[in-house]
Amino acid sequence: MVPISYYLTVAAIVFTIGAVGVMVRKNSIVVFMCIELMLNAVNVSFVALSRVHGNLQGQLAVFFVMVVAAAEAAVGLAIIISVFRAIQSVETTDSSELKA
Amino acid sequence: MVLFAIFSVILVVTALGVVMAHNPINSALCLITNMLCVAGVFAMLDAHFLAAVQVIVYAGAIMVLVLFVLMLLNVKLESPKKRSMTFVFLCIASGILFLYFGVPLINNTFKIFPDLYPSFSGTMESIGKVLYTTYIFPFEASSILLMAAIAGAVMLAKRKVHGPH
Repeated sequence: MVPISYYLTVAAIVFTIGAVGVMVRKNSIVVFMCIELMLNAVNVSFVALSRVHGNLQGQLAVFFVMVVAAAEAAVGLAIIISVFRAIQSVETTDSSELKA
Repeated sequence: MVLFAIFSVILVVTALGVVMAHNPINSALCLITNMLCVAGVFAMLDAHFLAAVQVIVYAGAIMVLVLFVLMLLNVKLESPKKRSMTFVFLCIASGILFLYFGVPLINNTFKIFPDLYPSFSGTMESIGKVLYTTYIFPFEASSILLMAAIAGAVMLAKRKVHGPH
């Protein structure tokens, strides 16, 4: 049986990699994917702790995280497309001014 | 244990692939592999319903959407960037972030966390019972959220931009 802290450690590593990706990458779609990576890492630790405590509330939290992530994916990608139409770029450094 | 080792190695390698790949398509493919491995980890933790939902919603729907947008926008490759001082600083900062969370976990492997709870399963039946009784209000609220997201996505993507081209 795998100890629960191994799951949590792997989740922490993946979360850190995702956080680095959000900070160093310039392509906004890749930044978006790194956010998904961080959400996945947190989901793993939710499920692991839910398994330790033997109740389902952690898994319910993961379910709602998935719902919100789906909504976020739809709206976020629509915003990326909208910005691309305006400035012909998805680089985060190119969209530094607020006027269209 | 062997299965967990395989899954965790693939998880870390594909997570690095998402961050380090120059082509965003490769990042997306790495992320799909990562999500499938997360589904495997869910199955190892007896969360069968979430494993299925992870494959269907994340690896199926969300990543197809991301890949679709990537193909649609046809972005050029990100040029290999110089390792600036900011990059080094961010790496050190995130290393500290990881140590802050990771070291207590590794040190207290068997002290904080008890053994796995016996006879526990996150099947569709048990999840559904909790979801439709205790969590009925958040469940309905999430349906409203999805509805608003659909309308918002359509409005955002449809709008004609009259800015300078």
